[in-house]
Amino acid sequence: MQNEKMIVCRCEEVTYKELMETKKTYNCSARELKLRTRAGMGYCGGRTCRGMIDKIAMFQDSPKNNKEVSLKYQPPIRPVSFTDLGGVKQ
Amino acid sequence: MKQRIIDHPVLGKIEERKLITFRFNNKEYRGFEQESIAAALLANGVRTLRHHEENGTPRGIYCNIGHCYECRVAVNGIQGVRACLTPLQEGMVIESGGRLPTTVRDWRSEDE
Repeated sequence: MQNEKMIVCRCEEVTYKELMETKKTYNCSARELKLRTRAGMGYCGGRTCRGMIDKIAMFQDSPKNNKEVSLKYQPPIRPVSFTDLGGVKQ
Repeated sequence: MKQRIIDHPVLGKIEERKLITFRFNNKEYRGFEQESIAAALLANGVRTLRHHEENGTPRGIYCNIGHCYECRVAVNGIQGVRACLTPLQEGMVIESGGRLPTTVRDWRSEDE
């Protein structure tokens, strides 16, 4: 399958192969896939790859996670720096 | 500046705008005022806006509408500024982020 090296999560550079292997070895849900591979934890907040990670997690779905919870939208919806939150301005 | 589209068949001619200078990674460039930083750099042939924090792979414009953050640069010392949305001003100092010293991922093999 030539799209092994295809990058699913651009911010964290997680490849399709890595996600599929993690899914096979641990048979994990979308959230577990994210925790194990960091896909979806990037600077863009999972905007690009959230859907794909959900799909991979539901691929050959086993009874264990058929009541699949898809990945959450984590606040803040835009990256905020600690300086803006109240850091000391130099 | 030769790569700039001056007369677009659909959008028409670019109206004359003030040419200003700005700095990107300690080099002087020129661009039109109020155009996006990403466009000004692209017109100067600069496509790599930053390098990935973990693997150092070059990154540049991707969505160009402000939600993918691939084009984030540091403008006048402020981090995480989106080059594709920020209008260019005279004398802007822009630095691109590079690879960070410590990796995020090396712990994985131990607690597999």
